Amino acid sequence: MNDIVMAASLILILIGMTAAILNRDPFDKLISLSILIAGVFPFIIDRGFLDVAIATALIAPLSTIFTLMVCRRVKT
Amino acid sequence: MLDEPARILVAAALCWINFVAIDVFFRLPESGGVCGATAIAEEVEKGGGNLHGGFMLGNIVSSPDASAGTLLAACGVYCAGLPGGLFAALLVYIGNRICYDPGYAGTTGAITATFLVFGMTQLGFAATDFIAGMVIAIFTLQGISHVHSSRLIARLWEIRNRLLGEP
Amino acid sequence: MIAIYLCAAIAVYAALRVVTERNTMRKLPFFNVISFAVTAIIVLLLPGPITILAAAAYFVGSTLESNAIASTWAGGMKKP
Repeated sequence: MNDIVMAASLILILIGMTAAILNRDPFDKLISLSILIAGVFPFIIDRGFLDVAIATALIAPLSTIFTLMVCRRVKT
Repeated sequence: MLDEPARILVAAALCWINFVAIDVFFRLPESGGVCGATAIAEEVEKGGGNLHGGFMLGNIVSSPDASAGTLLAACGVYCAGLPGGLFAALLVYIGNRICYDPGYAGTTGAITATFLVFGMTQLGFAATDFIAGMVIAIFTLQGISHVHSSRLIARLWEIRNRLLGEP
Repeated sequence: MIAIYLCAAIAVYAALRVVTERNTMRKLPFFNVISFAVTAIIVLLLPGPITILAAAAYFVGSTLESNAIASTWAGGMKKP
């Protein structure tokens, strides 16, 4: 039953990866990386690792915020 | 009683009415809560939409509002019954405080959605219908066309102002 | 059973819309649709009392990410 959902999250990961490679703007790259991380979550949940999922959900936005600091410093 | 697709559509309509009514009542289309919401509203207006509808789209993006409250309350009722929904309301309040928002709209939406979903589960609906229905509702608002949805919200905002007085 | 397939289909469609949209700020509402759909998928895959905590953590984290991206973009545009 989960095969279609797993295929959909695989498609999400592939779309995010391709867009992150092809985009030029740093903000577009960050949004594409967010799509990639969103695609990773169903795989973690499907195995039952809820603690890993919570830790990843809290760490990923923090890493994005630290990357954004670098973006702002380069841009101005 | 009904088939599953029909139940999902009815649940989508109920969720849509719930979260749009609460968001418009708590004056989300009035102005942007953070500067990111204002930026999204200006870009939506530049693309042909309406500024007040854009403010509401930006506010939904940049802080958990009644839409997030409805989704998480449906998830809570599905996982743990009525206490799960109220716990989800507490989580939405914490999320609102993290995102620099006062948090009235999200908490109110979560509590009303908890009682809505719990009441409808007594009538033969399943909580999964409401989870899928909320995804469809947010998809119709934000995923199809920003121009038309922002104009629709602006029309609802004018009706609200006419009924309850100018802000 | 239809519910989880519907959420997966909406997530893929919104991802395609994010990729085809050219404007950076107008990508964010489509990304919000993805985060709603993935939250629904998380809850529908593994119902349990702790799952609501994981779903809320993912949703709040994703919203905070969108908020930070939009705010930094707006601040970076106003300064020069």
